[in-house]
Amino acid sequence: MKRIPILLSVIVLMFGILAGCSSSTSERSNEADSNSETIDLTWYYPVNVGGTITEVIDKYAKDFNHGGIKVNGKNVTVTPVYSGNYDETMTKVQTAIKNGKSPDLSVQLSVDLFQIKNSIIPLDDFIKNDYEAQEMVGDFFPGFMKNAQTDGKTWSIPFQRSTVILYYNKDMFKEAGLDPETPPTTWEEVIEYGKKLTKKGQWGIELPATISGYWIYQALYLQNSDSNMMSDDGKEVYLNTDEAKEALQYWVDLNNKHKIMPEGVLDWSTVPTDFIEGKTAMMLTTTGNLTNVKNNANFDFGVAFLPGNKRVATPTGGGNFYIFKDTSEERQQAAFEFIKWITEPTRAAEWSMNTGYIATRQSSYETEALKEYVGAFPQAKVAMEQIEFANKEISVYEQGKIQKIIHDALQAAINGADVNETLDKAQAEAEATLKAYQ
Amino acid sequence: MNRLISISTYILALLWALPFLGIVFMAFKDSSEQGYSLTFRNFIDAWNAAPFGQYYLNTIIIVIAILSVQLITITLAAYAFARMNFIAKGFTFMLILIQIMIPSDVLIYPNSNTIAQLGIYDTKLATTIPYFISAFGIFLLRQTFKGIPYELEEAAKMEGCSRLQIIRNVYIPLAKPTYLAFGLISVSTQWSNFLWPLIITDSDENRPLTVGLSMFAKASDSGAQWGIVCAGTLFIIFPLLLAFLLFQKQFVSSFMQSGIK
Repeated sequence: MKRIPILLSVIVLMFGILAGCSSSTSERSNEADSNSETIDLTWYYPVNVGGTITEVIDKYAKDFNHGGIKVNGKNVTVTPVYSGNYDETMTKVQTAIKNGKSPDLSVQLSVDLFQIKNSIIPLDDFIKNDYEAQEMVGDFFPGFMKNAQTDGKTWSIPFQRSTVILYYNKDMFKEAGLDPETPPTTWEEVIEYGKKLTKKGQWGIELPATISGYWIYQALYLQNSDSNMMSDDGKEVYLNTDEAKEALQYWVDLNNKHKIMPEGVLDWSTVPTDFIEGKTAMMLTTTGNLTNVKNNANFDFGVAFLPGNKRVATPTGGGNFYIFKDTSEERQQAAFEFIKWITEPTRAAEWSMNTGYIATRQSSYETEALKEYVGAFPQAKVAMEQIEFANKEISVYEQGKIQKIIHDALQAAINGADVNETLDKAQAEAEATLKAYQ
Repeated sequence: MNRLISISTYILALLWALPFLGIVFMAFKDSSEQGYSLTFRNFIDAWNAAPFGQYYLNTIIIVIAILSVQLITITLAAYAFARMNFIAKGFTFMLILIQIMIPSDVLIYPNSNTIAQLGIYDTKLATTIPYFISAFGIFLLRQTFKGIPYELEEAAKMEGCSRLQIIRNVYIPLAKPTYLAFGLISVSTQWSNFLWPLIITDSDENRPLTVGLSMFAKASDSGAQWGIVCAGTLFIIFPLLLAFLLFQKQFVSSFMQSGIK
């Protein structure tokens, strides 16, 4: 029987060590602050553009915490918490809310709105009584506010926003006898240029069809149609219109008929790598990639508006700030103060230069730093100018499922399925999914 | 014939090693240069992207804590299922077997709910506690215990051993290869566990290596930065790799004996 005490003591010791390691950090909770002197906000943020971005975020937090911003006489501080990519952030946020551990604010996709609408607060009350906030909202590019508003209310504030743009390799353009300063502006020109650019070991263009592939498809959809692919209230989608079918057919034909794009489904994250390594002369992807391409491409490259068809168009994309419901009013106010602070024009400009995302404030482009940056690197301006032609990104109830339906259809068509049938099927599936919300 | 076998072994070994060699190749490649030039920049960039020193320590603590508790719980449970008689034994064992089939991601919400009720959100205990009992380990060890001749237990009883002494002196020594095999599986699973720690912890003091790696491995908007991802992967798997190389013989023989492939 001698062994029992040893066993027990090992177990006790184990728990002891674990508890000891953790006790210091578990204090940071939502309830404890009503009497204390500081309000410490928890901010969940995803990383979508590479590791060093956490350094920038940490620096923001440090600056803010020393900034002495007060709400009700209490100092406001913020603790940024890395929460994976956008999907994982959603899981983390939802888990935390269900368990009563709601963060104060988060950055999530602007299109996640309908999925978390029950857990967040509209921001109109904060904006209404605050001159600075009104100025802020008025200063955002109007295109970026489209996904933030529904039911006549504003639910989120733009932070890291993007559009789809065309990247092209100027050296390859020269080699193929094309003018490197005039990228293609229409679908026909894409095909025409693509044919000249395609040769052994080099493709004309690449369009990714995974991860955010639905978004690239939405760009084609918008260029081919006067209306968007979903209703504003997020309850209906229109996937099998004639325009939708033509857009998908165009995508499929880039490989099948015109042979200017590699065969099969192209992966979201390897398309930029292909571009940097010179395997494709053009690509469509997010502006979020700009800094990556700039740092790693050892050739002269250009970016341009998306080639249009019936019109020039792109969806917006990227992440917004949300403030959660399950915290005190004081904390919500503090969170709003933080959002105001971090979206100030100079910081929005800095964030844009660090990431390649578009600076969300119009006046950011009048700051010295960004002016200088754009002067030396005019590519940074293209995405901003394109916002004029930006439309709402698809944002619906059951966002994840609808995205999957679109991806499945897209990938099936690329792999040889009939475009008509595929989209009819997708529409039927989407209608069944959204039935509960009609 | 022998020659053919040994040649095909080498070919297979090379095929298995290819992905790893690819990682090593990319990790040292300078992506901004044409052709291949050696660089350590990827490692420096990757290491600086997150507090990896802290994460290393956390991962080691988490892995060791889980394995230690698991070894105790699975030994006792496996013995009970192998040698003791109690009501609903078969049914209980079935329940445990079913648990092997449930993917742990499905349990994130119910588990996190328990963690919240225990008041240990964002602690190392929260990261480890759901894994304290391993259904797979119980199953594996029970099979091994069943294969040990009952006469040995009887002999030990005759000598006046208590139950725990029997387990300690008869079963555990004879099941060593199984323990080693299970230990390897447990450590490598926990070493690469990602989603649960990400969701249940907020602070750097409690987060493991995988969370750090995901910062650049999953950054889909900036394209695949193979160099940094591979460098990060390499220094994260390095301790496991080293351990495997050092104890290779024991591992292989333990897998042979315990019948896991």
